[in-house]
Amino acid sequence: MSKKRRGEFSDFHSPPKKKIKVQCGEGAAGPLAVRPRHSSVVDSPLLIQQQAAQNTPRDSISLCKSPCVPNSYHQKPKNVPFQTCGLETARNKNSMSDDDIDSEEELRAVIAREESLQRATQSSVKEPENDPFVVVRDDFKSDVHKLYLLPSLGIKNKVSCQVNNDNVIGNDCAYDSEDTDEIIAMKKNVGKVQSSTEFLNREKSVCEKASLKDRKGCEFSEDSVKIQKRKKKAELAVSSGVRFLNCKSPSGSSDSEDAASVSESAESEGDEEYNALMKNCLRVDLTLADLQQLGCSDAEAPRESTASDSQETTTSCQFVRASKGRKGPDNPRRGKRCIHPEDIVASLLEGEKNTCSKQKPKENKFQAFKGIGSLYGKESRKNSLKEGVASNNINKDQDSLKLEDPSSISMEKRPSYADGSSRELTPCQHTKKANSPNHTEPQNRQTTFESQDPKVVSASNSEKESRSTTSSLLPLTGKKSLSLGAKIHKIDFDKDGRHSNPKIEDGSEEERADSCSLTSEKPPKVSSGKDRPSSVFSKKAQDSRSDFPHPVSNPSEDRHAQDNQKRLAALDARQKAKEIQKKLVHNALANLDDHSEIRPTHIVFGSDNESETKETDVQEQSNPRQELGKESIYKASGKLFDSSNEEESDSEDDSNRFKIKPQFEGRAGQKLMDLQSRFGTDDRFRMDSRFLESDSEEEQEEVNEEKTAEEEVLAAEKKKALDVVQSVLHINLNNSTSKGSVTVKKFKDIIHYDPTRHDHATFERKRDDEPKESKSKRKKKRAECEKLPEVSKEMYYNIAADLKERLQTTKDSSEKKENIPWNADCDGDKTEIHDPTPLKNGIEEPAGFTFSFFDSDAKDVKEETYRVGTVKPGKIAWQENPRSQDTSSEEEDTTEVVDHRKPSPGEVSLPEKENNRFFFFCKDDERLHVGSGLFWKGAGSDTSRNCWEARTNNLRMDCRKKHKDAKRKVKPK
Amino acid sequence: MRPLTEEETRVMFEKIAKYIGENLQLLVDRPDGTYCFRLHNDRVYYMSEKILKLAANISGDKLVSLGTCFGKFTKTHKFRLHITALDYLAPYAKYKVWIKPGAEQSFLYGNHVLKSGLGRITENTSQYQGVVVYSMADIPLGFGVAAKSTQDCRKVDPMAIVIFHQADVGEYVRHEETLT
Repeated sequence: MSKKRRGEFSDFHSPPKKKIKVQCGEGAAGPLAVRPRHSSVVDSPLLIQQQAAQNTPRDSISLCKSPCVPNSYHQKPKNVPFQTCGLETARNKNSMSDDDIDSEEELRAVIAREESLQRATQSSVKEPENDPFVVVRDDFKSDVHKLYLLPSLGIKNKVSCQVNNDNVIGNDCAYDSEDTDEIIAMKKNVGKVQSSTEFLNREKSVCEKASLKDRKGCEFSEDSVKIQKRKKKAELAVSSGVRFLNCKSPSGSSDSEDAASVSESAESEGDEEYNALMKNCLRVDLTLADLQQLGCSDAEAPRESTASDSQETTTSCQFVRASKGRKGPDNPRRGKRCIHPEDIVASLLEGEKNTCSKQKPKENKFQAFKGIGSLYGKESRKNSLKEGVASNNINKDQDSLKLEDPSSISMEKRPSYADGSSRELTPCQHTKKANSPNHTEPQNRQTTFESQDPKVVSASNSEKESRSTTSSLLPLTGKKSLSLGAKIHKIDFDKDGRHSNPKIEDGSEEERADSCSLTSEKPPKVSSGKDRPSSVFSKKAQDSRSDFPHPVSNPSEDRHAQDNQKRLAALDARQKAKEIQKKLVHNALANLDDHSEIRPTHIVFGSDNESETKETDVQEQSNPRQELGKESIYKASGKLFDSSNEEESDSEDDSNRFKIKPQFEGRAGQKLMDLQSRFGTDDRFRMDSRFLESDSEEEQEEVNEEKTAEEEVLAAEKKKALDVVQSVLHINLNNSTSKGSVTVKKFKDIIHYDPTRHDHATFERKRDDEPKESKSKRKKKRAECEKLPEVSKEMYYNIAADLKERLQTTKDSSEKKENIPWNADCDGDKTEIHDPTPLKNGIEEPAGFTFSFFDSDAKDVKEETYRVGTVKPGKIAWQENPRSQDTSSEEEDTTEVVDHRKPSPGEVSLPEKENNRFFFFCKDDERLHVGSGLFWKGAGSDTSRNCWEARTNNLRMDCRKKHKDAKRKVKPK
Repeated sequence: MRPLTEEETRVMFEKIAKYIGENLQLLVDRPDGTYCFRLHNDRVYYMSEKILKLAANISGDKLVSLGTCFGKFTKTHKFRLHITALDYLAPYAKYKVWIKPGAEQSFLYGNHVLKSGLGRITENTSQYQGVVVYSMADIPLGFGVAAKSTQDCRKVDPMAIVIFHQADVGEYVRHEETLT
């Protein structure tokens, strides 16, 4: 598989390579061109994790020329096409930024390439890899928290896990590819390295490359193993450590300068990677107590072996010396970086001494550690003391390279110490150690190794004591370092870096710069100058000011001691000066506070001069002395106040002067401005807002027109755009948009009636007019209705001719007829009949003419005729209606009616034949009975009435029941 | 600075519609005010009427940018979407792709997204459909074009490209000088 792939890779990539050459201008040969690119990418840590993980193997290959690393092997085959593609595309992107290439064209090209690639790959290999991705719906909303559970970090995890395993293995059997692994790990851990350097330092020999958490886990599980191993490894580690050198120097150089240089650009990377790694790592939450315990356990072991350690220290030094011989060949590597091998050798020699001797002092230093603030304080002090040098040191980039190698050297040494003495060392100490060689390098080249050896040996006694103290302190230091988190670590590193600088500086000043390096305080040194043990004791006594270097420095030559004393004196003087300055500042600040206290009172008095004077008088009497002081204060403050007042007034004037004057705003304001400018700055002719003419309506209109014009333009544009959208999307947007607008309009149209507003009077209904109209209309209608019979008057008139005789002949019949309707009609009808009479008198006046015919029985006839006349039309109209209504349901009745009516004209035509007839009806006319029968059906039939009563009873009962039920239902609720 | 011609508008809308579909009309017809597109230095800016009026006070040659740049017209009069439009298009995106944290960086360096880096994808994504690329934390990272349809993505080789890179937020750093 891999071969095939490689083959494809080479075939496939030959064309792009040329491009690369052209673009990058790299002079590398074709096949090699790829590698440099990768390496460069790695160096400028701009590569993704994936790529980093994948590329690093290649780098390792290219660098180490060990063809295959097991880890990288798995990934390589896959990566080949991807990487190349990615790089190409990346290149394309860059070129694309040159504007002229079209995204689509480029896309097409990419697609084509991709297709060809796929053909090749598919033909060669189809890996049924289960790289699950989720297909989600359109409305998917991802749960961010699930994120961390996703198996997205597969590659990384594998790598990291493998690396860890490899590391473990590597520690035991000096694994060859550690370099590469470490490079990988470095890249990944860049972020972590900073925060976890302390851990790193502790366990560098075992798991440099693992992530922080992994490391912790490893610690717990492997601590015991390590302790044992370390002894064994001491020898191995020296040899293997040599290998580590290059790799560790960047990651392990606790100076964070490496890390900084790497991580500056890749910080974001680091964070991401860190997070990503953390997700999959075992998470071990360490409390302070746990850490303390850990530290104690670590520290106790050393205590037991302190006796032997003192002896071992010398032996360990020898070890290192011995190891130097082995390291010799490695030095050139470092030398490549920037330091000459000679220097390194010298530094190694020095470093051993120093590290041996400095272990205690450094520990002591950490005893003195009191929070970050103290750190800063110390640093600032040192910096202030050694400003000149500090400036050099600030540029970490310059130093970084130098420092890297020394630190690596120190790391080499650590294993040697690991035999016994180094177990005690806290992570911080490790870092110090690592730094110490750096500092010493430049300084102590002159000093011979032998001269220091005796010191070390002699120091062994003191070491014991100091170690006991330090060992006890170890947990504390561990605590501090751990509890304070990554930032503090960084600070520590900074510290170290800065410390290192001062040290170097000191070295330039004096050979024994080491002594003053960290805390640079005189008292310990002075004491140390006398006796070493005493100095050790003094260290113990002094928590914060204990100086480790002193014991080392003091035993040195007398000349050095003298110089040291001189220097210390100078330092003392400086410190004193600083203290004086501080005091000054303190005083000043205190005064400030006092002022602040006084001010409010003063303001109170200042407002009222009389009361002030009174009060002052009172105070004078009570205690004149205080008053004097107060007066002085008052004066001063009073002046201040006045001046401030003046200033305020001035400032007010200024502000007024430069205020925007509303009268000059707008067009009218412009006119005013012109006028003003004509008059000049004469105060007498200042144009106030009084002169301002209100903006004419025209202007406003113009403005409005402009606005509307703009809006119209925009609206038109919008319309156009929408049209285009429509055409592009092939959707009818009008509907939706119009709907939207309609809805908006509707929304606006909803007006809540506000009775207080006059505008809303339009929404009020005017009730007054309508009823009046209706009344009048009703009257009119009634009148019309009543006039209708007038129309029939003609008929009546025509009929009247017949009526004369009829009325005269049949009075009885009329009475009988009246009876029938009397039965039929209720009293109301009668009243109705009577009521209309007065109304109709006037109306039926024309009918009065008819009465003129009956001169003889004027009154009777009048009444009768009147009754008949009035009743008849009313009754007919009234009776006909139900019948006519019935006609719809029963046609027979209508036919009957028609039948009745048909004969009626006949009857009318034959009035004389039947004298019994009154009007259209004869006496005991059946039709009348039928009509009344129709009308009085209920009254006549008992059965129907019974039925009706029964039904009503039932209905009543039902109603009551329902009512009760409803009540019951309501009540429980 | 001038309004877009109809042709330009069409070209641009076609491009944008690839990513947000009919939601495009929401950009044009916004309920919260009048927004418009303006062409300036071959770049299309999307701005509110208010900003447009304010920008009118600045001479064209001095004006660097106004509103939000949606993209630019290439010399061949095609529209190229810029990453700056992401803020406006991401909320309306019809088709989305979530990429795994491991592939995020790769994408943010301008690389295409491989299937191995594909965390989630909207169903029914067709081939060459414009997609908005999200991180698994739902942070929009950029624009892409689906190299494979959702169905094809299942079958395809894990190292095959599934999303073609179009624009990513890394350009804010990488193309700092050209982005406006």
